[in-house]
Amino acid sequence: MAGEDNKTKGPRKLDRRDVLMGLSTVPALGLFGYAWNRQRDFQETKAAEAAAAPTAPADLQVINVALLGAGAQGQILIDAMLRIPGLRFRAVCDIWAEYNQRRVVNSLKRYKHEPNGYEDYREMLDKEKELDAVIVATPDFWHERHAIDCLKAGKHVYCEKEMSNTLEGARNMVLAARETGKLLQIGHQRRSNPRYLHCYDKLLSEAKLLGRIVTVNGQWNRAVTPDLGAPDRYAIPADRLKKYGFKDMHQFRNWRWYKGLGGGPIVDLGSHQIDIYSWFLGANPSYVTASGGLLYYDPKNHEWYDTVMVVYDYETPHGPAKAYYQTQTTNGSQGYFENFMGDQGTLLISESEVNYAGQLYRDPNAPAWDEWVQKGYISAPQIQETTTTSEAPAIADVRESVAPDRHTVPVSLRDPYHQPHLQNFFDTVRGKAKLNCPAEIAYETAVAVLKVNEAIEAKSRLSFNAADFKI
Amino acid sequence: MDNGTLSRRALIAITLMRIFVGWHFLYEGIAKLTSPSWSAVGYLRQARGPLSDFFRWLASQPNLLANADNVTMWGLTLVGAFLILGLFTRLASLAGMAFILLFYLATPPFVGYFYSIPSEGSYLIVNKNLVELSALAVILVTGSGRFAGLDRILHSLFVRRTGSPPRDAMAPAR
Amino acid sequence: MQEAADSCLAIERPRELGDVRRFSHEAMATVFEVYAVHPDKGYAAQAAQAAFDLTDRLERELSRFVPNSDITRINRLAAGESTRVSPTTLECLVIARHMLELTHGAFDIAIGTGLPSLELDAGDFMVRATTDDVRIDLGGIGKGYAVDLMAELLEEWGIQVALVHGGFSSVLALDAPEDRDGWPLTLSDPAAPSRVLARLSVRQKALGASGLRKGDHIVDPRTGQPAGGRIAAWVSVPRPRVAEGSGAAHRAAAGAVTDALTTAFMLLSLEEIRELCERTPGLEAWLLETHLLHIGGSAA
Repeated sequence: MAGEDNKTKGPRKLDRRDVLMGLSTVPALGLFGYAWNRQRDFQETKAAEAAAAPTAPADLQVINVALLGAGAQGQILIDAMLRIPGLRFRAVCDIWAEYNQRRVVNSLKRYKHEPNGYEDYREMLDKEKELDAVIVATPDFWHERHAIDCLKAGKHVYCEKEMSNTLEGARNMVLAARETGKLLQIGHQRRSNPRYLHCYDKLLSEAKLLGRIVTVNGQWNRAVTPDLGAPDRYAIPADRLKKYGFKDMHQFRNWRWYKGLGGGPIVDLGSHQIDIYSWFLGANPSYVTASGGLLYYDPKNHEWYDTVMVVYDYETPHGPAKAYYQTQTTNGSQGYFENFMGDQGTLLISESEVNYAGQLYRDPNAPAWDEWVQKGYISAPQIQETTTTSEAPAIADVRESVAPDRHTVPVSLRDPYHQPHLQNFFDTVRGKAKLNCPAEIAYETAVAVLKVNEAIEAKSRLSFNAADFKI
Repeated sequence: MDNGTLSRRALIAITLMRIFVGWHFLYEGIAKLTSPSWSAVGYLRQARGPLSDFFRWLASQPNLLANADNVTMWGLTLVGAFLILGLFTRLASLAGMAFILLFYLATPPFVGYFYSIPSEGSYLIVNKNLVELSALAVILVTGSGRFAGLDRILHSLFVRRTGSPPRDAMAPAR
Repeated sequence: MQEAADSCLAIERPRELGDVRRFSHEAMATVFEVYAVHPDKGYAAQAAQAAFDLTDRLERELSRFVPNSDITRINRLAAGESTRVSPTTLECLVIARHMLELTHGAFDIAIGTGLPSLELDAGDFMVRATTDDVRIDLGGIGKGYAVDLMAELLEEWGIQVALVHGGFSSVLALDAPEDRDGWPLTLSDPAAPSRVLARLSVRQKALGASGLRKGDHIVDPRTGQPAGGRIAAWVSVPRPRVAEGSGAAHRAAAGAVTDALTTAFMLLSLEEIRELCERTPGLEAWLLETHLLHIGGSAA
């Protein structure tokens, strides 16, 4: 090549300097190759480490657990607990031995646990000496006896809400927990939900994004569903039903509707959310006004109100506030949420990861939230797609106010809904945490919620004393 | 040759810039080529601005998308390698500018635009894409490959021999 | 792919079915229905409600659009991480893996890297990812799996005469109403639903449908290219009789299998489908190209 070039008669031949300068940047490619090779080695090592045997679980103290009450809620709790390491299921107790008890025992066996099935919880407590903790998910009117007997047998107890169908029962549970020194966590699981904790700790307490919260509204609307039934062939014998306080299979399956057994939708559904009202407002209510009734379902086998609307008055540390809550069971419109409205912003939140999973609106006059966006407390504002509907040119259309900035709460739960609250309980059993919803707190909620049914019956505004909430 | 108007120091600086831009392109391309699942689909779906409809449509066409992915991965890699080597420098700069323009237009930092994939800095209208675009423009007009790069050899071998006016050395040997 | 199954598979004249009761429920972005015969309407409604509660639970576990579902957690696993899933999720994944092999890749739940990057530990219900980019979607099998479990639940409730379906893309027929030898179903052209192509009488079978409306396309996971030619595919698999009390270890997964095969049969060649039908007793397929082809099912 070079020889050939020498013979040509161009203005200049390819000289040594051209070749040197021409090749001068080639080493850069070599350097790139070297760097890339190092990078690839690093990535491969990392991937190989990741693909290698899973890390052995930390040396966890194994907790022996029993489930007392294997119905729908018990099964949800089991499902969440199966994802928590370090638990060993020793027993499942349910009076419906033919169906739910058998099903839960079988499903635990598939996970290599070896639980014994019991119909009578006292027999379980007698025989299962190694139990550390009992998960109580029985009908409300059983909670008091189940929780207290388990505490007195030296077990830590996680008890579903509502604590009890009576305030007296709830009070006895608090006292039993104090007496025995055992843990009693109540299943208001939002108290351990990372999104609610983020909202309370960061958005409300630290950033005070909403300013002063003056009003709250919330709801749990549910569409009509048929009453729960049971496969005919697995019906519980009448004498066993009677022994455990149920008059028939319908009442056993639908105890939530019966006075003396449950508390109706306001207690089943509302309790979770009214608990959040008090928590976020930092106060217990001072008055309650409520209206409700059994408007739709058959009064022959439904006793509690299918529709309830409540207004609470609060004296919060920042001033008075009012909170509305409704629950109805004939139309599922907009599902469930809590909406906190302050003079600087609004927080719309629910436990659901699908709907209302945390939205914030800043009042246009409120101080900017840029700082909190930068800290990662809230998302950057989304653009409000304003659709112009009016055809006339909007010269001075004052009806439409400026759309507020909409942010989202950048925290969500990837696990089953009840898992963090159960995890908090077991962490506390291991001495590594503090209960997020100890009996005393749940008692305050029970006082606020059970009073609603009282107020509906009394058809008048009822007041609370500060002492009502203390034991 | 336009080099004549530039000092040697300026030419060295531009060459250094060319190597850095090339390095960036090369690794962007190679990283995509070696990641089995890379696709532009996520990027295209969050496209905003004047061409967003086109980008989103592209993201919804599986076979077109596969082609776009290939063109992007190989294009970035080749542009990067050529810039470092100073080979076909002008063509590589032009292609690189076209790529960057598309990237810029897919997610322009116009007033009032926010993106779900956060950026590492703060940008208003001008972002690093635009800066890199202008760097490539400098490389394009100065033909830096002919100062230091394989273009210099090609140029000496083929172009000057025929005595034709200086052009980028892309023509085949005969 | 757009599922147009509701227009290419249907019950014929459901109102003339006498004392069959019908219950509907929205789940998995479609409408599930239970047709059941039972003397006590309230009891039938309760059984149907229990079946619908089951679909809701499955959706919470299996949907990739539910942020805390098992599938979402799997899709967010980094290389080397693992997560524990419900027995139903694991079973779905196992069936999906089996169908992927059976159809030589024509049925694939992957929308990124799929099953080859997942290690399934059926003993401990753990799913482990070996790469970062696992993205799966059980949409092609979930509805079929749901009708399987719904049918089992109805049987548990003592309801033997029933048909359940999820958006008519997955149908599962138990026993037929008294005066009939099967549930009357029609296969029709998805482009012209009033054009009935075939009438079937079905009992103890799962039947699935997959069809294209005008302008729809279906992407072949093996090539990444749109598949052409076939307008609709129907698949039927008999429901294996599970002995009473044999436990839940082996489920009658006819619905899940059917659901997966309808997707695959939109893509596989006629020879491949014939070969599969010959190998699998009871497997039947109907394919709509220029006209309706019926494959398999002759020897039963």
